[in-house]
Amino acid sequence: MLRHAGRTIAQYGLVVAAIVVLNFALPRLAPGDAVDYLIPPEQAGTLTVEQRDRILSQYGLDEPVPVQFERYVSGLVTGDLQSSIRYGQPVVDVIGERIGWTVLLVGGAVMLAMLIGTLLGFRSAWRRGRRSDVGTLSGVMLVDSMPPFFVGMLLILVFSVALGWFPVFGALPGTEIAGLSAIGEILQRLVLPLVTLTLAAIGPIYLVARSALVSELREDYVLMARAKGLVGRAVRRHAQRNALMPVVTIGLLEVGALVGGAAVVETVFSYPGLGRLIYESVLARDYPVLQGVFLLLAIGVILANLIGDLLYPLLDPRVRRPPAAAA
Amino acid sequence: MLRSRLVPRSVLAGLALAAALFMPAAGAQEPEQPRTVRIAISGYENNITPFNVSFGAFPVTHDLMHLVYDSLFWSQAKLEPEPWLAERATPNEDFTEWTVELRPGVRWHDGEPFTAEDVAFSFDYYERFPELSGRYAHHVFDVPPLEDAEVIDPQTVRLTFRQPAPQFPIMPGADLPIIPEHIWSEIEDPGTVDEELPIGTGPFKVTEIEPDQRYVMEANPQYFKGRPLVDRIEMPIVEDPSSAFQALRAGEIDQVARNLPPELVNQFADASGLEVLEGTRFESTQLYFNARRAPWSDPAVRKAISLAIDSQQLVDQVLLGQGREGNDGFIHPDSPWAGENNGHESDPQRAERMLEEAGYNAGSDGIRRDERGRPLSLEVLISSFDPLGLRAVEQVARQVRRIGVEVVPVALDPATLRDRRQAPEGEAPTYDAYLSTLETHAHADPDSLYYFFHSPGEKGFGAAITGWSNARFDELSERATAQPPQQRQALFDQMQSILAEEAPVVVLWYPDGNYAYRPAAYEGWISDPGHGIFTKRSFLPAYADTGAASTVEDVGESSVWPWVVVGLVALVVLGGIVAVRRRRTEDPEEDWGG
Repeated sequence: MLRHAGRTIAQYGLVVAAIVVLNFALPRLAPGDAVDYLIPPEQAGTLTVEQRDRILSQYGLDEPVPVQFERYVSGLVTGDLQSSIRYGQPVVDVIGERIGWTVLLVGGAVMLAMLIGTLLGFRSAWRRGRRSDVGTLSGVMLVDSMPPFFVGMLLILVFSVALGWFPVFGALPGTEIAGLSAIGEILQRLVLPLVTLTLAAIGPIYLVARSALVSELREDYVLMARAKGLVGRAVRRHAQRNALMPVVTIGLLEVGALVGGAAVVETVFSYPGLGRLIYESVLARDYPVLQGVFLLLAIGVILANLIGDLLYPLLDPRVRRPPAAAA
Repeated sequence: MLRSRLVPRSVLAGLALAAALFMPAAGAQEPEQPRTVRIAISGYENNITPFNVSFGAFPVTHDLMHLVYDSLFWSQAKLEPEPWLAERATPNEDFTEWTVELRPGVRWHDGEPFTAEDVAFSFDYYERFPELSGRYAHHVFDVPPLEDAEVIDPQTVRLTFRQPAPQFPIMPGADLPIIPEHIWSEIEDPGTVDEELPIGTGPFKVTEIEPDQRYVMEANPQYFKGRPLVDRIEMPIVEDPSSAFQALRAGEIDQVARNLPPELVNQFADASGLEVLEGTRFESTQLYFNARRAPWSDPAVRKAISLAIDSQQLVDQVLLGQGREGNDGFIHPDSPWAGENNGHESDPQRAERMLEEAGYNAGSDGIRRDERGRPLSLEVLISSFDPLGLRAVEQVARQVRRIGVEVVPVALDPATLRDRRQAPEGEAPTYDAYLSTLETHAHADPDSLYYFFHSPGEKGFGAAITGWSNARFDELSERATAQPPQQRQALFDQMQSILAEEAPVVVLWYPDGNYAYRPAAYEGWISDPGHGIFTKRSFLPAYADTGAASTVEDVGESSVWPWVVVGLVALVVLGGIVAVRRRRTEDPEEDWGG
C-alpha cells in the first residue's frame, strides 16, 4: 500500500514538473510579444529599438530564455509569481480577485451538471430504447451540440430582454446594495451563466452515466437479483452504485476543462472568472499571468484526480483490494 | 419511479420560486436620488492614467481618460480648439515658444490647487517616460520636440520647442492629459497600477475600480466648466458587443460607448425607450500595402487595385449603407484637415489598362503574373476581432478578381497580426497587406500625414506602417509641420494628391457613428465631431443638449435577426411541449420490472 502511494506521488511529481516546463514554454511559442499588445498598433512604429528594449526589460523579457526560466522556477518556489503585464499588478492579486467567481460558477456548474446529468443518464439507461430515453438522449445531444455562447445569448434574449428576470452582465451587485440583498443579487447574477455552463457540461456526464448503467444492468449479478425476484428500485440501487465510478471520473475531469471552457460563457455574461482572464492574457501575451493561471489549473486537475483516487474505494469496495492481490 | 418524477418537478418549482424572488422591483428610483447614468464600455483600462491605460476600450479610451483629466485645450478635432485648462496661449514670432496662461482657481480632485508647476511637470514627465505613454508622449518628444518647460509664475508656463510648433494648441495642447505633480513626482514606475484612484482636474472623479468589472465615477462639483449634469456614472465593462446591446435593450444600462453594428441601427432607432444619435468619431478602415515587397512596391499595381475597389458597394453591402465611401487622400472627410475631398476613384477598365501597360499579363487561370512569372496574389491580414473587415475583404476579393488580381483574406489574432507586420531592423516585413481601423486622433492630428506616410527616419511611423517612400511627399510633409494652418492646408492638398496617385493605402470606408442610449436616464447627449457622443462635453451644462435629441433616419430594410431568435425560441418551446405531452401519455409503470 505504501509503495503504491509512493509510486503515485512520484507520478504526480513528474506530471507537475512537465507542467511547469510547458507552462513556461507554450505562451512564449505564440507569435508576438507583450510589446505588441502594450503599445497600440498605430503607435508601435514610434518606438525605437532602444525604447522597445526598455519596455521588455521592465518585465524582464529582454533576458536570455534560460535566465527567465530560472527566475520563473525560483519564483514558483518562493511564491513570487511576478507582475502582470496587462494589469500592472502582482499575478497573485490578479488571480485572487477572480478565483472566487470561478469557484462559484464552475464549481456550481460541475455539481449541477453531475447531479442532473447522472439522474437523467440513469433514468435513460433504465428505460433504454423507450421513447422517453430516446427523447432525453436527443434533447441532451441537441443542447450539447449548441455552442455555449449561442445558448447564453438565447437565455439573455428570453430571460433578460423579454422577461427581465435576470441581468445580462456582471457578477457584482450594485454599488449601493449591501448585506443580504447583495448576496441575493450575486445569486441572481449567477443564474444565467450557471445555467449556460451547466447545459454545456451536462452532455458527457449524461452519456457516461447512461452507458455505465446500461452495461451494469447486463451484469450477471443483476440477472441473479432479478432471478431472486427483486424488481424496480431494489435492482436499480445495486446497479447504480456500481455505475457511479466512471461518472465521478468524468465529472472530475470536467473541472479542469470547464475553467478554461468557461471563458466563452464568462465573456458573454461579463463574468470576471479565470477563463476570461486566460483569454485576455493570451491576447496580451501576458506570460506571468498565463503561467500563474495554468499552474493553478494544473494543480486543480491533479487535486481533482487525487480526490477521485480517494473516492473510488468508498464507491467501489473492489478498488480497496491491496495491489498484491490484484497481481 | 415516483421519486424520479418528483425530482424534475421540485427543480421546476424551485426555479420558479427563485425567479419570483429575484425579480427586480420596478420603479424603485425616486426623483430626489442622484442622477446616475450607466454606460457600458468595452474593456478594462487599469486605473485610467496615461501610463497604464491598455486601450481595451478602444476607440473611446481617450474620451474616457478625459472625463478624469483635462488638457490645456479641447478638442483636437477642431481647427481652433477651445481654451480649457489654458486661458490663452501666445506664440513667439517663429512659433518655437508658447507662453500659456492658465485658468485660475482650478483644483485637483484631492483639493490641491492646479498651477503652472503641474503643466511644466507634465511635459517633463511625458518626455521622461516616452515608451510608457507612446500614444501621448510622442507629441512631446517627437513632433514638436520639447526643449524646455519653464514656469514663469503660478499661472503662466513657457514651453520651448526645437522646431516651430504652429499647431501647439491642437497637438499636444488639446490632447495631452495634464497630471498632478504632487502625486506623480514620487512615482518612478508609472506603468505599475497601485491601489490609488487617479487624480485629475476633470469633470468626474473615479470612486471605484473593479478590475474587468466596472468603474464608478462621481461628478466633480467644483468643475471649472460648471457642475456636470450627471451625478454619477457607473461604467460596467461588457466586452461582448451583443451582450452590451442586449443589456441596453433590457434597460440595465443607459448607453453603450460603442458604435451600433449596422444591422442593429434600424431596430434600435425604432425601439421604444431608446434613441439613436449620429456622431462620427472620424473612424476609417483601410488597406495598407507593404510597399517594400514586390510586386506591391510597384505604384501601378497598388493604384490598379485601388481603382478596382468599389468603395460605395462595400458601404452598401457590408455597412448596410451606414457609412461613406473612402477618400483616396486618406484624411476623414469631416476632419478639419480634409481639404478638397478627392473621394474614391473606381475605374476597373483603367486598372486593367494600367496593369497591361506595366506588363502584368494574365495566366491560364486568369490571374496576372509579374515578369518573373509570380501571380499577383495579395494576402490581406485581418484581425479576427473585426467581422466587418473580414466581410469587406471577401467583397474586395470579388471586385479585384475582375482585373486579374487574387486577394486572400487571412484572419489572425491581434498580437499575431502585429507580429507578422514587423521585421528585424533593416529587413522588409514579409506581409503583403493588412487591414486596420483608425479613429479621430489619426485624422485630426495635423501631423498624422507625416507620421503615417513620411519615409522611415528619426520621427514618425514611416516604414512601420507601409514602408512607402516618396521624396516629394517627404519634403512637403516636413515643410507642413512648421506651417500655420492656411499654408499647411495648401501643402496638405498636394500631399493628399500624391497619396491618391501612389495608393500606399486604400481607405475602404468611413463608418457612420450611431450611438444608442436611453433618454429616460439622460438625454443631454450631444454629437461632438471626432468624439461621437461619449465625451465630456455631453455632460457639461454649457454644451449638453437640453432640448430634444434628433434620431437617425430610417434607411434600408429591417434586420431578420429578431425573427430568427423568435423562431428558435418558439422551436424550443414547441419541442418542450411535445416532450411533456409525450411523457404524460407514457404509462408511468411500464418500465422494467415496475
